[in-house]
Amino acid sequence: MWLAMVAAGRGPRAVEPSQERHLLQRMTQGDGDALRELYDRHARAVYSLAVRILRSQADAEDVVQEVFTQAWVQAARYDASRGTVAAWLLMQARSRAIDRLRGRKLRPENAASVPETRDPGAGADAQVLAGQYAGRVREALNTLTAPQRTAVELAFFEGLTYSQVAEQLNQPIGTVKTRIRQGLLRLKAALDDVRTGRGVS
Amino acid sequence: MSIQVHDHDTWLESAALYVIDAMTDEERRTFETHLRDCEQCRAEVASLQGVDEALASAVPQVDPPAALRDRVLASVLGSEPATRLEPRRAEGMAQWLPLAASLVLSLGLGGYAYSLQQRIAVLEDALTSARAQAADTLARAEATQRTLQLTQTHLDVLTAPDSTRVALAGQPTAPGASGRADWSPARGLALSLENLPPLQPGRTYQVWLLTAGMPVSAGLLTPDAAGRSTIVYSVPPGDVAATGIALSEEPANGVPQPTGQIVLVGLLARAG
Repeated sequence: MWLAMVAAGRGPRAVEPSQERHLLQRMTQGDGDALRELYDRHARAVYSLAVRILRSQADAEDVVQEVFTQAWVQAARYDASRGTVAAWLLMQARSRAIDRLRGRKLRPENAASVPETRDPGAGADAQVLAGQYAGRVREALNTLTAPQRTAVELAFFEGLTYSQVAEQLNQPIGTVKTRIRQGLLRLKAALDDVRTGRGVS
Repeated sequence: MSIQVHDHDTWLESAALYVIDAMTDEERRTFETHLRDCEQCRAEVASLQGVDEALASAVPQVDPPAALRDRVLASVLGSEPATRLEPRRAEGMAQWLPLAASLVLSLGLGGYAYSLQQRIAVLEDALTSARAQAADTLARAEATQRTLQLTQTHLDVLTAPDSTRVALAGQPTAPGASGRADWSPARGLALSLENLPPLQPGRTYQVWLLTAGMPVSAGLLTPDAAGRSTIVYSVPPGDVAATGIALSEEPANGVPQPTGQIVLVGLLARAG
């Protein structure tokens, strides 16, 4: 509830392409074609994130299925003020993938390894664009110091809380919190540069 | 009564942890409560919006297997592909009209049911949020009430005509500890303590009124993280002729008579 207020009252944020919102609207009316289109636009990003977190193609496929099923059922609950449609789908994917990751913590050897991936692969235009964006974001990530990046990645991709990150890295909790914040601020600044076309320094 | 003080940088760090979901559920709830009242943290969260999406998009991009698309769409949309209903012109109007009518009716009803469902969902959300806010407000009011009562009792003890003040001195186990006690046989015992050593798990501090005979327990206390405690106890039952105040370290539920290390002691001046 409050996030909606934040976004409404606060500064310019990228306007969600109305096309994407419209897709979700059509889905709420039971339009299967809209779901197909949503899938074609975002399945690759969702799948890639799930593969990165779970390191298993089979598990990642299950996550994709869950995410798009959920999108179909809950399309009406999408709230544009909280982020883009892509963010909505990706955060669903992250949370489901991390639930699975935690579920199998005791038997990590079950995770099949995934071969190094081609990037970008062939795909719809939107997906190629997404691939280019991913490349620029990776450049932005490279501006983080190694300790900042490690802390952020452990939290985001391994689903660890900051205190678990601290434990794993054998670092004081305060240090880890500071690194995560500094890392995100830096990433944010680099992303703003990417968006305004200044490039990453 | 120990009050946790967060300096504001700690909250700003929480904003970053919140954005990438790197905190426990409980911490997240606490932070969300704080966000309602804190413009600065809301701005921080808003400014970091998009960072989570960027991280999620920065992974190597992999094409999902083609078969996955069919599997997902079939499981969501059902095995039959959605086909558009088109009026069959070959058939007479007489046959088509009832079909169209029932179709319109069912579409209309379906739409109505759907819109009702949506409105219920929105109302449910609003109700949940209102309930949470009410509970939160109630909890705060109760906490404020408790603090007020405590302050009042504290004041009662300090201003009692029979009140005596005594300084409490740290004992060899805790030479840095110090404190002040105000004892009113009519109204109770008020304590203000500092530099208490941290307690081991399963242990507590217990406050004693020393008498000519056995010490009488006034109550238990747990200091805050900085080793401070401000607390008021009512007068223990029985006619207690206190000669001094002591604090000892005891098992968590307290004991009838002191068994552990004495941490602080102060003797009351004899009434002349």
